[in-house]
Amino acid sequence: MRLGTAGPRGRMPAPHATTERAAISLRGVGKDFRGAAGETVALDSVDLDIDAGDFVCLLGQSGCGKSTLLNLIAGLDSPSRGSIDVGGRRVGMMFQDANLFPWLTVRGNIELALRLSGVPAREFGPRVDELLETVRLPRAASMRPHELSGGMRQRVALARTLAQDCSILLMDEPFAALDAITRDAMHDETERIWLERELTIVFVTHNVRESARLGNRVLVMTPDPGRIDSELRIGLQRPRRMEDPGVADRAADLHRRLSGRNEP
Amino acid sequence: MSDIDAGRLVGKAAAPTRRIRFTGPEGRPAASLGSRIVRRSWPPLLAVIITLLLWEVVYLSGWRPSYVLPDPATVLQRTGEMVASGKFWQALGTTMFRAAAGFGLALGIGTLIGLVVSFSRTLRAAIGSMITGLQTMPSIAWFPFAILLFGLSESAILFVVILGAAPSIANGIISGIDDVPKALIRTATVLGARGLSLYRYVVVPAALPAYLSGLKQGWAFAWRSLMAGELLVIIASKPSLGVQLQFHREFADTAGLMSVMIIILVLGMLIDGVLSRVSNGVRARRGMGPVS
Ligand SMILES: Nc1ncnc2c1ncn2[C@@H]1O[C@H](COP(=O)(O)OP(=O)(O)OP(=O)(O)O)[C@@H](O)[C@H]1O
Ligand SMILES: [Mg+2]
Repeated sequence: MRLGTAGPRGRMPAPHATTERAAISLRGVGKDFRGAAGETVALDSVDLDIDAGDFVCLLGQSGCGKSTLLNLIAGLDSPSRGSIDVGGRRVGMMFQDANLFPWLTVRGNIELALRLSGVPAREFGPRVDELLETVRLPRAASMRPHELSGGMRQRVALARTLAQDCSILLMDEPFAALDAITRDAMHDETERIWLERELTIVFVTHNVRESARLGNRVLVMTPDPGRIDSELRIGLQRPRRMEDPGVADRAADLHRRLSGRNEP
Repeated sequence: MSDIDAGRLVGKAAAPTRRIRFTGPEGRPAASLGSRIVRRSWPPLLAVIITLLLWEVVYLSGWRPSYVLPDPATVLQRTGEMVASGKFWQALGTTMFRAAAGFGLALGIGTLIGLVVSFSRTLRAAIGSMITGLQTMPSIAWFPFAILLFGLSESAILFVVILGAAPSIANGIISGIDDVPKALIRTATVLGARGLSLYRYVVVPAALPAYLSGLKQGWAFAWRSLMAGELLVIIASKPSLGVQLQFHREFADTAGLMSVMIIILVLGMLIDGVLSRVSNGVRARRGMGPVS
């Protein structure tokens, strides 16, 4: 395992990366699934510490266990081996599918998240409007989930996720269904919210450039069994853009790692 | 370059756009209220016309003498006369009161049992299959037992109506809760819903369409059980639709008998129609198709 990095380091330290205590800490975590095709080792011996306030991207090809890892951190599944500690922090998660509640309008979906976070009902109206503004859907409040496009659903899911009061935010390929322009806007918003709320974000993607655009650290995963294979510290100034040469540079490095050709 | 998406939007010449004209369903422009009503009501109307025609043909064939099988016109005239009489409304009142009481009680009991059973895994295993079993029991088979328990009384009828309807209602809610997509439960869990709030905000609303189907089925069973009950448990002081059926049969008055049957059919369909409307409305708001 090659933890640590070949990329240029330390141009710019991660903002508010307080290293005093890890927000998320995994020790020897493994997860097996027993299915029709026999036993699958979805994850094996994952050791990982994520600092409070850090922005970590998980990068890897389809089926390498990214979603499984997020589900474990969220406490939705329990690991077959090893231990996971989030220090009692509240974990929010945005799933790979939007999973909107079909009996509620867009407003109702976001309100439910606010209600479950203990926000008083009189604040719902302005909070929902503000969140919909954030995800650039100001006129969708009264629509039903089945009336939205895939990308719109995903953005409502993002608004609903942001409605909860959490300190760790797990995001599973949240922007895979978006067009490039909207996605860039969502990247800016995600970065802004991360800074503003001092969140710890774990962001799953299989888009290398997206991971270089967003992350402080990018963890590259490999399949069969799912492991964290290597890590790249991005170390670029923020705010960044997808087109930045630095981002392109890191993306090329990550792409080589993913395709197994480590040295250029 | 490693980024796949970036180029997608930029620099690609747009294909020449073809014009598509948007019209109402079936290619026609959006319909007016009048034509919508006509379009919706013609299939049942057609069914009625076909039935009357067949009936008339059988009548004209002379298969049965006309005092045994009267023709549609005679029966419809009798129905008109019957509806104008006070005695009919008294009978209808008794029957509908029993239907409302029986179905209402079945609604309460079935819902409660369904919720409790789906809440507990042990109860679910123990009682779940029993409820399905009860559903297959023909309700008329309960009557001898009910008459022994309660005598020839209102209670005997209500008892069987409830036994007929409650299992379907309970089953509707149980299967609805069983089939709530796991992804929605997981989503609600990370949003902070636990225990009762998970039930209230996610599980119960998600199960609503299945619950409403259960209600529809429950109503059909309640109505059947009620008619069986009114034929078997005759309470002298109380005229009801069932008693009228019996009465017309004893006097070999086929036209009267068929009139009562038509009323029973129409009433059952009307209430089923109301429940269907509610159920399909709920489904449509979720982007689900209507059930039959
Ligand atoms: N509930 C399950 N039962 C059985 N096997 C599972 C289950 N969930 C995941 N797996 C298996 O675990 C492995 C990792 O799945 P996972 O969903 O974590 O992949 P992923 O990295 O998120 O992929 P993608 O990028 O396609 O979303 C796969 O081989 C999958 O078949
Ligand atoms: Mg996944």
